[in-house]
Amino acid sequence: MSDVLSVALSRLSRVDGVRGALIVDAQAGVPVVSELADGVAEPAVAALAASLFRRTAKAAGAAAFGGLETLQLEAEAGHVVMAGAGELVVVVVAEADAQLGLIRLEAQRAAGSLA
Amino acid sequence: MRQVDLQPLVEALREPMRRFVREARVRIALLVNGSGQILAQHGFTRSYEVVSVAALAAAAHAAARALAQLTGQARWTHLHHAGQELQLVLAPFHTPGEELILVAIFDEDSSLGLVQLYLERLAGEVGQLPQFQRVLAFTDAAGFERELEAGLRSFFASELGSG
Repeated sequence: MSDVLSVALSRLSRVDGVRGALIVDAQAGVPVVSELADGVAEPAVAALAASLFRRTAKAAGAAAFGGLETLQLEAEAGHVVMAGAGELVVVVVAEADAQLGLIRLEAQRAAGSLA
Repeated sequence: MRQVDLQPLVEALREPMRRFVREARVRIALLVNGSGQILAQHGFTRSYEVVSVAALAAAAHAAARALAQLTGQARWTHLHHAGQELQLVLAPFHTPGEELILVAIFDEDSSLGLVQLYLERLAGEVGQLPQFQRVLAFTDAAGFERELEAGLRSFFASELGSG
């Protein structure tokens, strides 16, 4: 399993504009594996991203939209893209001008390989 | 055990604890010192529950510290128990004056990661408080009992007053 996680992270981290990627335990909000650039606070990103993903998934459920697949957060200086993989969440931290389409695709692919 | 009036410490901890509870979304939080004296609490409604949890937290902390030393670890960072509905985190942190222990109980609205994240902030804030900058004197068992009772009266009187 750890090989699968590492391969998934490695692919994500190679995409242009990606500052790092994590695979997070969705319930505990703690990182399982990560590859992050300096200056990205791993525990904070893991805890907050997992919390956001779980809450949004609840909202999606309440709105009868079904399960949440991906979630994208846009901020002034960058993006956070998340993809659900069962008990795990794939989290990608990217620059503002990163190739978001490719990142979403790779995040979904990574989540698919983990689920 | 401290030979001091606990009230200023309780007052100083009120806002940092309130913020921790709100941001980490925990149901119950308790801050005790290594002797089991209660310095702050949120979410308890009965004083005997606070006393029991505080005593158990201090005992668990002592046992975990002994276990850490036996296994060659200088210190331990937290103890996490995940139940079916509720989870408990027991985490010690240092201030210049003394070591404190946080007990946090939370449900699916929070997570271990969130509790750890905001505990770090809480520890930083408490460590900066002037009331925790120096090591304070020890007292005897009778003094401890008096402080405990005074602390409990203070917590539950203020909660009744604000409710």
